[in-house]
Amino acid sequence: MPNFSKDMKILAIETTGKYGSASVTDETGGVFSACSSEEMNHLRGMITLIDEALREAGITKDELTHVAASVGPGSFTGIRIGVTTARIMSQMLGIPCIAVSTLEAMACRSLDKAISSGALYVVPVINARRHQTYAGVYEAAFTTDGEHQSAIPVMEEKQYMIEDLLEELKKKLAEHSGAVAFFTGDGIDAYSDIIESTMPEGSFIFADEDLRYQHAESVAVIAHRKADAGETLTYDELIPEYMRLAEAEQRLRAGTLSDRIRKPVKI
Amino acid sequence: MKDGRFLTLGIETSCDETAASVVADGRFVMSNVISSQIDIHTAYGGVVPEIASRKHLERINDVIGKALDDAGVSAKEIDLIGVTYGPGLVGALLIGVAAAKAMAYACDIPLVGVNHMHGHIAANYLEHEELEPPFMALIVSGGHTEIVNVPDYNKCEKLGGTRDDAAGEAFDKVARVIGLGYPGGPKIDKAAKEGDPDSIAFKRVYLEQGSLDFSFSGLKTQALNYLNQERQAGREINVNNVAASFQEAVVEVIADKAVMAAEKYGQNRIVMAGGVASNSRLRALMEEKAGSRGIDVLKPSPVLCTDNGAMIASAAYYAYRSGVKPDLELDAVPGLEF
Repeated sequence: MPNFSKDMKILAIETTGKYGSASVTDETGGVFSACSSEEMNHLRGMITLIDEALREAGITKDELTHVAASVGPGSFTGIRIGVTTARIMSQMLGIPCIAVSTLEAMACRSLDKAISSGALYVVPVINARRHQTYAGVYEAAFTTDGEHQSAIPVMEEKQYMIEDLLEELKKKLAEHSGAVAFFTGDGIDAYSDIIESTMPEGSFIFADEDLRYQHAESVAVIAHRKADAGETLTYDELIPEYMRLAEAEQRLRAGTLSDRIRKPVKI
Repeated sequence: MKDGRFLTLGIETSCDETAASVVADGRFVMSNVISSQIDIHTAYGGVVPEIASRKHLERINDVIGKALDDAGVSAKEIDLIGVTYGPGLVGALLIGVAAAKAMAYACDIPLVGVNHMHGHIAANYLEHEELEPPFMALIVSGGHTEIVNVPDYNKCEKLGGTRDDAAGEAFDKVARVIGLGYPGGPKIDKAAKEGDPDSIAFKRVYLEQGSLDFSFSGLKTQALNYLNQERQAGREINVNNVAASFQEAVVEVIADKAVMAAEKYGQNRIVMAGGVASNSRLRALMEEKAGSRGIDVLKPSPVLCTDNGAMIASAAYYAYRSGVKPDLELDAVPGLEF
């Protein structure tokens, strides 16, 4: 557990996956969370979750010093609900925002387990359908004081075809003999067959379901570190990390938007 | 509360306008901020839902902040928040709903969800200080063509609606094909002023005897066929005449049915609402047809006809006053009925 600054009380919001959650850190370093048991209930349930997490922590919303959101990648709708909630709470409570990468938070959540399982890399993979993923690769390491674990990014967080991700990961693993990758995220549910048939035997581990999905707790932990480092934002600087343009925008840029749609037809 | 007045903040993001407004006592507009995305969507020939959602998120804070500033009030002075929770584009709606809930929670303000269509009707309470129910309402917009009986502030009985295209939708499609572009409504209105409404005999679709429903898809097809036929015959198309004749065929049926509904239900007032309610020909025809039967026609000024936060604030005020319970578990309902 990282050393939390005494005067920071951070609300963290995670709505990018199936289950929404909210976590609050208090001055003793504790993290208090509330998690939805209903799938994709983000909009309806978010305020209730925030309120529950605050009650668990025994602090009021007016005592909050920062509000953090998992900004993506993930469900576009989910991202927007969390980011909008964080932006407005920041504006109305007059406190700064913190942006946390969803993939980094997922890696952080699995870090303990990955290290204790002897894995070198943590690979969060979010299913973006049709063989697409949002993914990143992190090295599970200890900080220089040898006490705290940290996830060091070693491959860019971006959109990968699952096959491309695995090819690059295999090269990475080949640099260290016996290196193991610890997969997490709903990409496992979608692509376990492809991962199992592509990766060498013994070179990978899948996260158990209790660690596999996004959770605000690790968002709160990362947010705390960022707040300590002064990496805060104003509400209008907190923007989603979709990692993908809207489809119509892709077509407009590529010049493949239907002429019938784009231009009035001249007769 | 400020100076003894009950302040409602209205938030609206159901389509392509990000809007917020502060309204005092449900009637007096203190600020009305509308951030339109029309320039962005014009490049695509219509509203792109994913892009609309992204833009709403980027703009919502500043729109709310400006609505408070323009009204000269602080968030803590707001007594009630109203937000559109449907009908509309789901991704767009949820930005307004998430923002309204976060603000309601952060500032301890009660929140009520507002039906966008009730909001359009309530726009008239802002325009006409003395207006109270009962009355007949005619809502005409890009997505709606509806006749609604309004016996009380919080009761809306839909008597008829479109069975296929909404009037605004038909305007958009025909405008695109005759080269006027998007948004079709205002462009057809303008072109029609230079054209002859009797030059092309487009049919008036009244459906069954006594029906208060509408159908515009047949008319749209007739217009497209006419254009094709003229083009194949090598004749030059008079865009203004097509616009005028098409518009006349649409608004004549709308006006006739609205007047029929008012007479049937013994209402001596028809209240117009929605974006197409600012169509100048529809306004003129409504006054002519209703006026000859002793029925008054009320309409909001054009700025209150488009989607705006003020109308949502007014509707929220009356909903809250009539006992609608505040709800922090409010969800967006894209297909919300009347």
